[in-house]
Amino acid sequence: MSEKVIQVGHRDIRIINQEFLAALEAGYSVVVTDTLSRHNLGVGLPQSGKIHFDGSVGYYCGGLNTGTDVRVENNAGWGTGEAMSGGTITVNGYSGMSTGAAMLGGLIHVKGDCGPRCGVAMKAGDIVVEGNLGYQAGFMAHRGRIIALGGAGPSCGDALWEAEVWVAGDIESLGVDAKIVEPEAEEVEEINALLKQLGLEERFRDWRKIVSEQKLWYFESRDANSWLMI
Amino acid sequence: MCGIAGRILNQEGGVGRDLVELMDAQAHRGADSTGFAIYTKPLPEGGKVRLMGFDRRNLNSDLDDVIKILKSHGSDLLTDPQIDDASTTHYSVRLEVREPANVESWIAEADLISNRIEVLSYGISLEIIKDVGDAKAVADKHNLRIMQGTHGLGHARLATESDVSPKASHPFWARPFPDVAIVHNGQITNYYLWRDKLELQGYRFMTENDSELLAVWISDQKRKGLSLQQALIKSVSEIDGVFTFMISDLNGIGLAKDRFAMKPLVTLESEGELIAATEEQAVRRIAPDRWDVFNYDGPSMTQIWPLRTIEAAA
Repeated sequence: MSEKVIQVGHRDIRIINQEFLAALEAGYSVVVTDTLSRHNLGVGLPQSGKIHFDGSVGYYCGGLNTGTDVRVENNAGWGTGEAMSGGTITVNGYSGMSTGAAMLGGLIHVKGDCGPRCGVAMKAGDIVVEGNLGYQAGFMAHRGRIIALGGAGPSCGDALWEAEVWVAGDIESLGVDAKIVEPEAEEVEEINALLKQLGLEERFRDWRKIVSEQKLWYFESRDANSWLMI
Repeated sequence: MCGIAGRILNQEGGVGRDLVELMDAQAHRGADSTGFAIYTKPLPEGGKVRLMGFDRRNLNSDLDDVIKILKSHGSDLLTDPQIDDASTTHYSVRLEVREPANVESWIAEADLISNRIEVLSYGISLEIIKDVGDAKAVADKHNLRIMQGTHGLGHARLATESDVSPKASHPFWARPFPDVAIVHNGQITNYYLWRDKLELQGYRFMTENDSELLAVWISDQKRKGLSLQQALIKSVSEIDGVFTFMISDLNGIGLAKDRFAMKPLVTLESEGELIAATEEQAVRRIAPDRWDVFNYDGPSMTQIWPLRTIEAAA
């Protein structure tokens, strides 16, 4: 696959994103230089191709991605991969607040730490974090998995729906309506297979699986006192 | 969605130019107004007053009244006033003055004419410059880029809690505490509760802006004996809302962040220097190739960045 270099600098982001699409659809692998942590880079990427941001990116990088493999050489700002439905996003450094917000599918792999509310309202897909999860990881996440090889900050799994948060390290505190359950052996195998696919070291990890306690699920109730039981 | 910035240099230099860059990179976060708090070289004696007048037609009489009040408090002008020559109705004035015998009494009397001309800041080093418009417009109008100093703050405002006007712009001076300023990104939800308490203690507020409250709140805690670090920590539990604010004084810059981790701050620290901004892309304007930034995006965070010159003297 031949390579096309696209420079960001202070150029118009809409034009740059159109250049990404044209290059990917023409079959080029794209290398992006002079990224300057700018916002909205690589939003709405197509169903195949590879794009490498050679630096840090700002907010919403890879948002609405449908299948492209995205690699960020350094840090990513808020909302990385927001509402993506396919493809992968790899962040070599730190990924900011709301990584994978409302994502519908695909995989986000963060090699550093993640900011607050990682996976907020995610609907499907996986987020793998080699470092630590920040505050309120998995906040109101509907489905999908958040997997941290490090620890988790305060309020982990706050107001979870049916998503799962897996943590190998220490958990500072659980959020409202979150509980730790014993994972099934097959589930751990699935997690290990995913980690192996990402080239991560195979070894024993003391997984804590966090799910919803379902006490917040009294949506049919008109009785205010039932909310006080939570 | 405002944007804030802080800058510390390890020796006096172009802090005005750097802050303009940091705020220009964040102009999209709020172009209603932009402001700067810059710590310039202290005068051999006396202090600096920054004023904003609201009707240029009355400039001479308003300024006469300001000077009269200064003189009645044992102060006087050390140099001629510097007045902007823009065509706007409002105008800004910079004074160098002999220190009033009692700053608090002087500012209390000066505030009696604040509907005509308002003191924006007072201190031996602090100068607050703010206006409507984006960073470039404010910088061009007030010659910000040539201002030399050791440290400072910047703010781009998207008006949410009060009106769009030159006086509602940030930063805010912690009236009447000399050389203390604040910038803030967020909303304070127990604003009126604290404002009432502080007004009962005699503090005055020039705007309905919640950020002004924070500056006075922190300074009042310090007056009651807390260190800046203790006051910042206390603010996280006593002040409700979502916020990230930076407060500056002669010694450096402090940070506090709310319990919900909603408002970001990205920093780059190196050899006694600090670049801080709401967005990393602003930091890139000063340090395009440095990737070792730190994100202050956890809940209940506080931090103090002292001036290296102060540290060395300690």
